[in-house]
Amino acid sequence: MSLRSEANLHGIPTKRYDLIREGLIVFIVLAVVIIVLAMLFGSPDYPAVRGEDVAQRQPIAYLKTSANILAGNSSIQGYGPPYTANSGNAQQLLGFAPAAWLGVTIPINPPEDLILKPLARVALLNDVVAGALRTYRAASSNQQQSWLKAYLAALDKATVANGQVQVPAGEYGPVDKLMKGMLNLGRAGLLEGALESGVRLPYALDFTRSLLFFQDDVDHNVAQTLDMLGGQWGISHETGDYPGAWWLWPYTLLYQIPVISISPNGDLQAGAIMSVFFLVMLFMPFIPILNRLPRWLGVYKLIWRDWYRRQ
Amino acid sequence: MKAAMNLTRRTQQFLSANLSVEDALPTRMPVYVNSLAYLFGAAALSALGMLILTGVVLCCFGPGWYHVSRVGHFFNSLHFWSMQVFFGVVLLHLISKYLMAAWRDGRWKTWMVGVLTFGVAVFTGLTGFMSQTNWDSQWIALQAKDAMNALGVGAFFNPLDTVQVLTLHVVVLPLITTVLVAIHLFLIRRDGPVRPLPPKRRPQ
Repeated sequence: MSLRSEANLHGIPTKRYDLIREGLIVFIVLAVVIIVLAMLFGSPDYPAVRGEDVAQRQPIAYLKTSANILAGNSSIQGYGPPYTANSGNAQQLLGFAPAAWLGVTIPINPPEDLILKPLARVALLNDVVAGALRTYRAASSNQQQSWLKAYLAALDKATVANGQVQVPAGEYGPVDKLMKGMLNLGRAGLLEGALESGVRLPYALDFTRSLLFFQDDVDHNVAQTLDMLGGQWGISHETGDYPGAWWLWPYTLLYQIPVISISPNGDLQAGAIMSVFFLVMLFMPFIPILNRLPRWLGVYKLIWRDWYRRQ
Repeated sequence: MKAAMNLTRRTQQFLSANLSVEDALPTRMPVYVNSLAYLFGAAALSALGMLILTGVVLCCFGPGWYHVSRVGHFFNSLHFWSMQVFFGVVLLHLISKYLMAAWRDGRWKTWMVGVLTFGVAVFTGLTGFMSQTNWDSQWIALQAKDAMNALGVGAFFNPLDTVQVLTLHVVVLPLITTVLVAIHLFLIRRDGPVRPLPPKRRPQ
């Protein structure tokens, strides 16, 4: 024994023990339990939401998403750091906005990066889209917004027949042609590739833009259908009945409290509370009352009952 | 002239003072170590072993393998349930050590390293959920980015950068977890199991 363990265990009777044997037994039992669970229940693998699928199955939702992003209605538009420079929109707590400290590190201009740049690639292959893009860029901002507003209103009355979207006639300027270009890009399965075209192709490793594209309505609706929204205890489970990060139950609980769930600073509030909770756990040995609680609870008497009986 | 410090001798002295072979691989244990509560730590270590073994197999074939292979999906399921069991036994370990006030007699370092390990494990689990390359990872990453951005972490950790998430999950975080677990185990074996709390005396 080392000097320290001799001092710590001085006067304590000992019994025979085999660390490796006990460790192996525990490992084998755990491994069997895990193998049985894996064989019986498998694991979740619900397919990702892809531009191609949305364009084929929900073309109107696809067009609404694209038109809203182009109109500047996406949630990323005024998100603040790290995507946009609107620091005033960064979540705040007690006057602090940590998101603003390091500024814009992933710059995204949604209309330009998520719609017009992919369309510029389509324009190289399609003269109609090329002409519509030139007309759109040459128009004033007010004119662009007027076209988009009319188009978005018309999409509410749009129908789908034989896979073709029928939008009522209206004053949309080139927007209808641009959106058809976006829809065809999606149907061809090229949306994600076009969105990540700025990265080091062919080694596309960062999927930030393509993951952000459908986050507002399409992904939100899928998550709601699968009970995965924050207000549906989404963190605690995965798709189906599979358990998720249930150990974050206290964190999920915070999102069920209206003050936090509807607050524009909710994520920062929940994060701050969990950070304090973690620090309390970390410094538990030094926190009065909490470090005495085990003595008062008395569960230790059950754990060491043989020892106390022996005494 | 002062002799150069002998690093080997210093290491020998450190080990003889802190961790003998009998400490590291004990063949005797205090008699009060006689409860199921003592098995949760070994169970957590075993589940961590399963996580590493199954994770290494998944790494060998790449993150897309389990979507197209039944064998791959089975290994993904093993990894998934290893993670679920790991957090279950880690929480039992944490709760039981709290109820034993196991930080007594200078063992606060063991407690704090354990809690730090738990924190890193939670983050490792999050990056695992986000590395599944399916709907769950897509949605969890979108949700996580708001939390990370709000806390100011988003400037250097982007949950939507799948490869950054994946490399953190398979290399950086397991390495930090393993180092912390090694320190935790060293402290446990160095100090030995904490003595039982003195029982409350009834007034005579």
